[in-house]
Amino acid sequence: MRIDQIGGMIKAFPAMPGAALKLLTLTDAPSATVQQIEDVLRQDPGLTANVLKLANSAYFGIPSKVGSVRQAVMLLGLKRLVQMVVATCASAIIDRGVPGYDLPAGELWRHSLAVSVAAKGLAGELKIQAADEVFTAGLLHDVGKLVLGQFVQEEYTDIKRALAQGMTFEAAEAAVLGIDHAEIGARVLAQWSLPENIVHAVRWHHAPEKFGTVDIMLDVVHVANMLCLMIGIGVGREGLLHEPSPVVTRRLGLEPPHLEKVASQTLQWVSELSQALAVG
Amino acid sequence: MNITVLVGDMKTGRTGDILVTHALGSCLGLMVFDPMAKVGGLLHAMLPLSSINPEKARGNPAMFVDTGVPLLFKSVYEMGGAKERLIVKAAGCGNPMGKNEIFKIGERNYTVLKKLLWKNNILLKAESVGGTASRTIHFEVDTGGVLLSCNGTKGPL
Ligand SMILES: [Fe+2]
Ligand SMILES: [Fe+2]
Repeated sequence: MRIDQIGGMIKAFPAMPGAALKLLTLTDAPSATVQQIEDVLRQDPGLTANVLKLANSAYFGIPSKVGSVRQAVMLLGLKRLVQMVVATCASAIIDRGVPGYDLPAGELWRHSLAVSVAAKGLAGELKIQAADEVFTAGLLHDVGKLVLGQFVQEEYTDIKRALAQGMTFEAAEAAVLGIDHAEIGARVLAQWSLPENIVHAVRWHHAPEKFGTVDIMLDVVHVANMLCLMIGIGVGREGLLHEPSPVVTRRLGLEPPHLEKVASQTLQWVSELSQALAVG
Repeated sequence: MNITVLVGDMKTGRTGDILVTHALGSCLGLMVFDPMAKVGGLLHAMLPLSSINPEKARGNPAMFVDTGVPLLFKSVYEMGGAKERLIVKAAGCGNPMGKNEIFKIGERNYTVLKKLLWKNNILLKAESVGGTASRTIHFEVDTGGVLLSCNGTKGPL
């Protein structure tokens, strides 16, 4: 069965490096100390170097130079530090081509970065507060495409037929393959023991109104994803075959100027973040 | 030479050049060609009006239709193109599914383009606009031939 095959691939999906997972469990513990974080990172000097590089990037805009893990925790907080760790680890997993979606090497990663920065920028433009995890949720929202790509490729004739009936791309995935890339992504992240709000945001990023609860983080990721595809970042075979949720638009109070202002800045934000993440 | 035009960018070329732009979603791809002078230009504009971010528009006028289109024509004139000979084609301006007007940046891009062309008495020779597909353009400046790739199919525009 195809669905069993997909399930097997989810189970076999690359795990996060040990240091990243340890840090993630630490963030859940309210008593986590800087010392504990330093201890975890000390085991992985490469990761430490990347974290410091990212902490000093234009993306986070810290005026003073961040020279140590201790300083990074003080200035950014534990949550944002963990985001950076996840980002450096995620790039190793996401930064490759995805044939089924017609995404050449690097495009899914660029799309992931773009959704992450655009979601954050959108919250700022709307003057609303999204959870800190919006960075990670944006970065990982399409991780399921890495699993589903080959199946989309194999069954494209059927998917095309479903699309011709007026389905969205993710609905066509579910109709033909029994599962869509959003659900797969959520399962991968649950397997990684990521915080629940991230898992939910990934699961519902194409259908936020189906999630029983309202989460601004999910809403801005949903809008940012659509916007990034529209401006050509990581838009492959799926084109613009998604439907922006009117419910989300209404509850965010979203208007064209918000969307267009964010769009005008996204490319610059992406290049700043990707420069920060590029390990030289 | 293949010259790639990125999002929010404009490039011109002469005989021997192929101007290429990828992944036109809601963005506008506009091609201008003078068959006599054999010069052409390609614009890949992201947003309708520069007033949304004037600071960006100053550094990067090609990002917006209202500043990018005049820049495209001006650049082609500077290379020897003449207005009365120009062949103009448009592609892109797609929109997501559904009726959500807020997301119809493609439609707004197209509207601003049409207004500009109308004011300047310029007609579109060909267009492939709207819909949900992502489009890629190869514009051969020697012949003015435009190859449009869209959803796995390729054809002239
Ligand atoms: Fe997606
Ligand atoms: Fe996406």
